[in-house]
Parts: sequence; C-alpha cells; structure tokens
Amino acid sequence: MAKSLKQLRMLFAAQIKETFRERQVWFWQILFPVLLLVIFMVIFGGGGGDFSAKVAIVGERSGVAAETFVASAEASGVLEVEKDLAPGEAKQRLKDNRLDAVIVLPGSGDTGEFRLLLNAERQSGSTAQAIGSIAGQLTAAANQAVTGSAPAFTLKTEYVSSGSRELEVADFLLSGMIALSIAQSGLFGMVGLVEMRRKGILKRLRMTPVNMRLFGIANMGVKFVLSVVQLALLAAIGILAFGAKPDFAPATFLLTFVVGTLAFTGLGYLTASVSKTLESYMGIANIASFVMMFLSGIFIDINVLPDWLKPVSKVLPLTYFAESVRGGMVYGSGLECG
Amino acid sequence: MQVLEVSQVSKSFGDVRAVQQVSFAVDKGEVFTIIGPNGAGKTTTLEMIEGLQRPDSGAITVLGMTWDRDADRIKMRIGVQPQASALFDLLTVEENLALFASFYDRHRPVAEIMELVNLTDHRGKRVKALSGGQKQRLAIGLGLINDPDIIFLDEPTTGLDPQARRNIWDIVLRLRGIGKTTVLTTHYMEEAEQLSDRVCIIDQGRIVAMDTPKALIGRLTREREIHLRFGADAEAAAAEGAVRTETNAARVERDGPHLRVRSRKPEATLHHLLGFASDGGWSIEQISIRELSLEDVFIAFTGKEWRD
Repeated sequence: MAKSLKQLRMLFAAQIKETFRERQVWFWQILFPVLLLVIFMVIFGGGGGDFSAKVAIVGERSGVAAETFVASAEASGVLEVEKDLAPGEAKQRLKDNRLDAVIVLPGSGDTGEFRLLLNAERQSGSTAQAIGSIAGQLTAAANQAVTGSAPAFTLKTEYVSSGSRELEVADFLLSGMIALSIAQSGLFGMVGLVEMRRKGILKRLRMTPVNMRLFGIANMGVKFVLSVVQLALLAAIGILAFGAKPDFAPATFLLTFVVGTLAFTGLGYLTASVSKTLESYMGIANIASFVMMFLSGIFIDINVLPDWLKPVSKVLPLTYFAESVRGGMVYGSGLECG
Repeated sequence: MQVLEVSQVSKSFGDVRAVQQVSFAVDKGEVFTIIGPNGAGKTTTLEMIEGLQRPDSGAITVLGMTWDRDADRIKMRIGVQPQASALFDLLTVEENLALFASFYDRHRPVAEIMELVNLTDHRGKRVKALSGGQKQRLAIGLGLINDPDIIFLDEPTTGLDPQARRNIWDIVLRLRGIGKTTVLTTHYMEEAEQLSDRVCIIDQGRIVAMDTPKALIGRLTREREIHLRFGADAEAAAAEGAVRTETNAARVERDGPHLRVRSRKPEATLHHLLGFASDGGWSIEQISIRELSLEDVFIAFTGKEWRD
C-alpha cells in the first residue's frame, strides 16, 4: 500500500512536470481559453451590458397609437430616438450603419402596421434582435393605448432568465468558456499520451513492474489540476475584468465539474485510443471541438440556431455540460434541478 | 548456470515469418549478442524474451520463470533498453531515474547509476537537451536501476557517432566486468566482435551460426587476401605471372598496379612474391593482408553481402 502510494505520487509528479514544462500546454490550455474569453467578452459583453441603440422614427405622427409609440420609445431609456428625419434620409443612414433601425409609423388612422427596418447585413446581430423585441413591446403598448385598456406605460428592458437572477452576457460567456475549456482540455489533453505511445514510453513502462492503473489515475489527476487552474483563471478574469457576477451553488458546481472533467477526459482517452498518429488525433479532436464550440450554446444561445440544427446540439455532450455549469455557477440551481 | 533459455520459438506477423525455430541459452555473466541485418528478427526475438510479445510456439524461460506465470517477478529482475529510447523528455536525467526506481521493490541508488553511465555532470538536464549518445546512456541507466540479473540492450549504438558508440561499449564492458549477464542486439559486426562472449547470427528469422566470435572466424577457410600495389603496371603484370606458379595461391587478380592474391598460406605466398620483387628490382608501394572478420562469417554462412 505504502509502495503503491509512493508510485502514484512519483507518477503524478512526473506527469505534472511533463505537462507544465510543455509550452504548448501553457498556450493552448491556459492562455488560449483566456484569450477567447477576453475576445468574446469584448465583442458581446459591450461595456457592462448596458444596451442602447439608435433608432429613427419616421412617418406621420398622428393618432394616439403613434404618439404613444413615440413617447414610450423615448421614455424607454434604451433607444436613442431621431424623430425629425425624412424617410429617405433615415434609410440611407441605416444603410451606412449610422442608425441601428428605422421604424416607419403607420399612416393616418388608428389601424395599420408599424414597420421595422433593419440593416440586412446585421439582421442576425444581438442588437437587431433586441430592437425587434423592444419594437414589439412598444407596438403592444400602442395597441393598448388605442383600445384604452392600458395603464400608464413604461418600458424597461430586462432579460429575465429562468434562474434566481438575471443572466447577463458576461455570466453567460464566462460559464460557457469554463465549460468549453474543460471540455477542450479533456479532448486535446491526450496529446501527451499519444506522444508517449508514439515514443514507446507506454511500452517501456509495461516492461517494468509499474502498475499501469496508477499511471492512468495519475494522468487523470493531472487533468483535474489543469481544469482547476483554467477554472480559477477564467473566473478571476471574468469577475474582475468583465463584471460577471456568478451565483455559485457549490454542490451543483462541484458535481458538474467532476463529472464533466471525467466525461471529457474519457472522450479524450477514447479519441487517443482510436487514433494511431498525432495528426489523426488532432484532426478528430479539432472537428469535435469546433462542432461543439458553436452548437453547444457556448457563445450563442442554442435557441437562436435554425430548427434543423437544434437536434444536433441536443446530442452534443457539451450542450448539457455547459447547461449544468450555468446551473451551478450562474443560476445558483440546486442539485434537484438536474 | 543458465539464466535464459529460448527453445524452438517461432513468431509470424500475417504472412511474414519473423522468427522461425530459434533456440539458444545464455549463461550467467555472459555478453550474448544477436546480430543480423535489419528485419532479420532480432527485435522480435528480444521482445518475446522481454514479455512484450507472445511466441506462436516454443518456450522461453527467464531466470527459471515463465511469462505466463511470473510476469511481475520477471519484470522485477530484468532491465531493458528498448530500441526507441522512450524517455520522459521534459524530466531531467535524475528525475527519470528516480521515477523508474520507484517502480521496483529494490533498486540501486540513482547517483550510482548516473556514475555508471557517465551522466553525473548532466543530472539536472532535461532529456530534451541531451545528445543522442547521452539519451542512449540514460536509457541504459534506466534498464540498470533495479540492479537486474539480465539486461537487454536493443541496438544501443545505432545512429550514434563513433565516439558516442565507444562510450556505450565502455559501459557494456564495465557491466561484463561486474559479472552482469547482457543480451545485446546490433547490426554492427565490429561491435559484436569487440563486446561479445558469444554471437548468434540470425538472418530471415533463422539462426545461421552461433559461437564465440573467434571460433566462428576460425570455422572459415584459412584463405586470406593479400593486396600489393606496385610502382608500375608492368611490374604488377610480371608479378602476376610469377605468383600463378606458387602452389598456395588460390586466386590471382590484377587491376593496373594492384595485385590481389587469395592464398591458403599467405606468409609463404608473400615470401615468394617479395623474393621476385627484390630479384627484379621492382618497387612495392603498399602491402596488406586483410584479416577475416564476422562480416566474412556472415557472407560465408548466408552467401549474402553484408550491408550495415
């Protein structure tokens, strides 16, 4: 027993050294996730999450509906409203990206449609989606004003999530990145193992009385250490630099972390065992990781995926892992939520 | 005392019969060399002895034990340096040795092994920064860490420069000096001749000949090749005519000023030739008698050219 423990300790120390003395590991498994996080935070996080958009409202402002609509839009605080542009000028500015949207009011009378014009190149962006939903709410308010059934109306944009508090962009990205980097290091982390096999080290070890199970356990141990380092680093950067405010549920999070690390390390072992060369290993791991990166709701909510793609994301393990990480660190979900 | 016994061992990979009916036994304290060209079956034979591959038929006994029953006990008592040097590249010399030491119930001090393989000065260096010869010495050191009863060295000098090769030879000779049993493979004839107590020549999976290097060479015909270079073509031509009458000369060839004579009694033939030369006042610029080596043994037993 004491001998086994010593062997385990030596094997663990050897693999820790082999891992952390490798510059590639530092770059791909530590620096790279941090870079990705920073890049996506800067692109999507947009300065703390305050949303605002420039909108022009054109057309005849007559009737209760139109007046209510314009007033609500101005009062909303999230839309910067231009009221006095000619329709042609507004469209030109929209094309030039100087406006985020143009809303065309209906003609005279209290019925008709509000038309929302968005820049076609940017229609899938989050701003466009947000304006769409705001305009929808404004239209509803206007309708209520016409029928006279509504109380005084104010608009407050709030992205309400199903959890105990709002899921802000920074939290969404941070939790996604943590899930992704743990998955990535599981998938790609076997480079060392494939190399050891190629160089004959595994064969060499089999010529000694060493217990190969201990070697495997030590290898898993190293993956956990790496996961913890990634987790701590990403969380620190997300919280300190980008104002993420995670709401930890320690038990859920810990369970998710352990199960996720084991599962993705397992996938890595599987990939390593079916690939003869480092090239084929990297090929398989790259495809798997790219598919999962975009279809598992890491950077983009899976709800915005086209319907035909959704079934794909439903079979990807990272979808569920990312969901659980979010459950454990953002929603503060208890274990019973599954 | 026999420490290793291989009897009637065969192994095929698909249609390739890598090893066929190989049998030999190695005594304690012996340096036993398996030599043969690339693909002759040396490594396969060694890997079967080391327990990495199962023979299709035949039996192998290591220190009186078999792989089926005593794998772990055999592993405790043998040392292996495989062909691919298989080291942890980012660990230092000392860390590699200490790691391997932890696998065994009983092992020699790491410092002692570093001394034995001349790596004490490089103890803190990572394997990545070592030269080819140093890596190979470390690989041998790892094979020696458990103070094995038998050490297997698979082509320890392949790809090394002459100086690095000498260093490895020194280690093998030192091992022999302390009475270690060593089983070595190589495709350098010179190495086999220098280091081994006994040599086993294998070709295409079969043992061609097995004995001490001296006895193997002794089995060849006593013919030696004499080579002379004369000052002028005419002198060589005259000597060619003269030497044909000499009874010991088996074959005479001339190429310009060069004369090659294969003789059953080289000293007599040479005496004869030198007599003519001084009588005729010819000038001889070079004389040599080529020694027979294991290479000639290989050629004689297989009928094939030896290629390093």
